[in-house]
Amino acid sequence: MSITQKGAATQSQKLMIFVLSMSLYGLATLFTELIPSFQVGIVEFSVEFFLFIPLVLSMLFDPLSAALGAAIGELVFSEIMLGQFGGLGELEKFITVTIGVYIAGRLVRNPKNHAMVGAAAFVGTGVQLLMGTVVDILKVQFAVADFEAVAGLPESVFATEGFAFLNDLLFSGILFCLLPTLYLVPKLYGKIEPLLGMQPRTKETGLGEISMKNVLVCLVAFVCAIGAEMAAESGLSLIDWESGWAESKTALAVSMVVAAVIAVAMLIVMKKRTEPIGNIR
Amino acid sequence: MMQKLSENVLDKFSMDFLRNQVLKNAYGNDDTVIAVRDPRILLVWYLFFGLVPWFVNDIPFLLGCFLFVMATTILAKVAGLVLFLFAVGVFSQTGYLLIATWIFGGDASAIAPLLVLTLKVATISLASVTVFSGLDPDRLSNGLMWFGCPERLSFSISYAYRMLPMLMEEFQNVLLSYRLRGNPPAHETVTGKIKYLVYQIKIIIHAFYPLMLNTAKRSRTTVEALELKGYRYAAVNKEVRKMKLSSLKITYDDLIFLAISFLWVAVTILVSTIL
Repeated sequence: MSITQKGAATQSQKLMIFVLSMSLYGLATLFTELIPSFQVGIVEFSVEFFLFIPLVLSMLFDPLSAALGAAIGELVFSEIMLGQFGGLGELEKFITVTIGVYIAGRLVRNPKNHAMVGAAAFVGTGVQLLMGTVVDILKVQFAVADFEAVAGLPESVFATEGFAFLNDLLFSGILFCLLPTLYLVPKLYGKIEPLLGMQPRTKETGLGEISMKNVLVCLVAFVCAIGAEMAAESGLSLIDWESGWAESKTALAVSMVVAAVIAVAMLIVMKKRTEPIGNIR
Repeated sequence: MMQKLSENVLDKFSMDFLRNQVLKNAYGNDDTVIAVRDPRILLVWYLFFGLVPWFVNDIPFLLGCFLFVMATTILAKVAGLVLFLFAVGVFSQTGYLLIATWIFGGDASAIAPLLVLTLKVATISLASVTVFSGLDPDRLSNGLMWFGCPERLSFSISYAYRMLPMLMEEFQNVLLSYRLRGNPPAHETVTGKIKYLVYQIKIIIHAFYPLMLNTAKRSRTTVEALELKGYRYAAVNKEVRKMKLSSLKITYDDLIFLAISFLWVAVTILVSTIL
């Protein structure tokens, strides 16, 4: 049996935490994905109902494994399994969930301290939601080409996103993150750790304060999340540059069609030729 | 009539229904045209239809791409629930913006840019529905691994598809046992209904307590079994990777699929330049 020293988990324990967080949060997000989100007026309650699961796990165990497990669980269970994978947009969610959960986990040094647990749960949720809101606003700005020109659109985006953020923070931050975490952390503390062959986290074995380095890494990751969305904008200028030789565009398209037809015909002929040989064998 | 309808909907929306739909989506259709394609080809295909629409604002081109991915989605025989979620998702991403724009004094001129946005979102999500729902999970994870995705991601995919039915059943059992022992508040009046909702949410949160402990035990067993098989060394070993990926094979049918996609895109570009 491995001995935990200084709160650091061994590689296999990290894998255990990863698997645990992944399957639990994945299952939970699958339900939220399956239940159509209910809307009140124009505001959608896109609440992270079950963010308390990775929050609890990150406070009790190694925060990074729990955070990564939760993000991958959400990606695999609710996005890939249901075919809802949204490409670049998922990267943003992946990074924001990881950062939010990781920060909450690092804030708690002693899970017995209720005030700390509650504050960390609230801060973690808030950070995640805030980053999501910023990226959402940028996304609409870049995807809609003449964003400023459309009457009423900028105001409506800021108003709905801002309201959704406040609403989510108060609604999901308190009801679905703060209260369940305050209920589950003390209850699980000391009980769930032996099941993974670990010692409970105490003040002495905690990972210590959040250093400047952690904050910097989080910031860089957030910039990456925005960058994923900004890729759309740089792509727009790419298309503009292409239209510089627009006069030959039709000719180019015709030759592309011809090439494609030839390719399809050739492949079908080649397939027909190989088939008899395959049958003889 | 209305009551009967809502009862009917609630009947359909049971836990078993959800589980069946998810399983059907994962394993139900491995003989469709899309499912037998090579995963690497499909991922390259997805890279095009998942990225390019973001960068293009040309309505004929977007419409053409949308029609094409719609055809592939039909070919993939995706489960109904997934398509329903897709429709809800597209509306909640852009449909509400249209309504909000009207409220804030926009007019018909707002429709064109929002139509572009809707087409983009719809094309991209249908392409991902085709690839990620149409493909067998094991083939998908092999394909991702070939492109150098971390072993942990393909492990997660294989693990998720195998464990999910079990986890869902366990969660349902825990939830039912809580309900059996509990005493729900009367829910005839409005306050009673709110109390009932709070009670239900409370039960779900409480149900996670035993579920967390059970899953902790299970994940320890899983990891220990993996360690016995030398998983952590196999994950980084090149020989093992080669053996795992040797089942992938590109056939002429895969190339024909790519060529037809290319042909379609070329035709839409031609149409958009003529228009």
